[in-house]
Amino acid sequence: MMASLLTTLAATIYTRIYFFATETDFSKVLGLQRIIGFSLLTCMLTVLVNYGMIRWLKRKGEIIFNFLFSVISFACVMIPISVTLPLSVQFPELFPGLAVPMVFFPAIAWYTLNPLFPRKQQN
Amino acid sequence: MKKLIYPFIAMVLIIGSAFTIFKAQDWKIADTSYVKFDGGDPSGQFGGMKGTISFDPNDLTNSKFDATIDVTTINTGNGMKNTHAKSEKWFDADKYPSIEFASSAITKTADGYEAKGILSMHGIQKEVVIPFTFQDNTFKGSLTVNRLDYNINTEEPNHGASSFKVDISVPVTK
Repeated sequence: MMASLLTTLAATIYTRIYFFATETDFSKVLGLQRIIGFSLLTCMLTVLVNYGMIRWLKRKGEIIFNFLFSVISFACVMIPISVTLPLSVQFPELFPGLAVPMVFFPAIAWYTLNPLFPRKQQN
Repeated sequence: MKKLIYPFIAMVLIIGSAFTIFKAQDWKIADTSYVKFDGGDPSGQFGGMKGTISFDPNDLTNSKFDATIDVTTINTGNGMKNTHAKSEKWFDADKYPSIEFASSAITKTADGYEAKGILSMHGIQKEVVIPFTFQDNTFKGSLTVNRLDYNINTEEPNHGASSFKVDISVPVTK
């Protein structure tokens, strides 16, 4: 929950900065509601997968999870690059500049906050 | 002398009328005009239509379309595809920056009208017939265009669609 809040906050701030920098409005395709939904979904899924992997693989679970989370985040770069926007949206060339950094926000938020919630050591 | 002035004016008007050029109503193309193309993948639209439209439903002989669209306004909804579409391999926007249509004849049909003319694209000129309607100050027409007829990326005929349904909407004002 904390990670999704941090992701939403970062994404909202970045959207405003991007809007002022490029004067392009992508709120039709990436509005606040979608950002909140995307953040919640991603972070909840992350918690579930992280919990499952630690239960299953014990200490190695955290290491493998972190590796997978980074790889999947990087692979998700292709989503905003390949997505087709509605024709009413102007300057689709600038959309990856907004959305590509955002795919890393859940991972950044997770890695930032995760050490604040230490678990019992499992062997 | 006064008796002669009126017949003289009448004569001037009659002779002058022989040289009068009948011109159909001129229309200004609105900024909201578009040309949509649908080939499945890719699909999109062009904007930025410019040109002159002279059209009078009661005087089709003197009606004429002369329209140009800017190739760089292409929007497929995807930035990467837009860049590819404008590249040398496809529309080659640097060399052929516009797509033009100039009508040679407009005729009435059962459903509306037909504009016969020359479509110039990618350096190739072909005669096409565009069926269209004119309602609420908006011209709407459609036609099918095959990119291979205009030498657009003939090296890859199966790369994406080759035949496109083109829908044209041109709102106009007097």
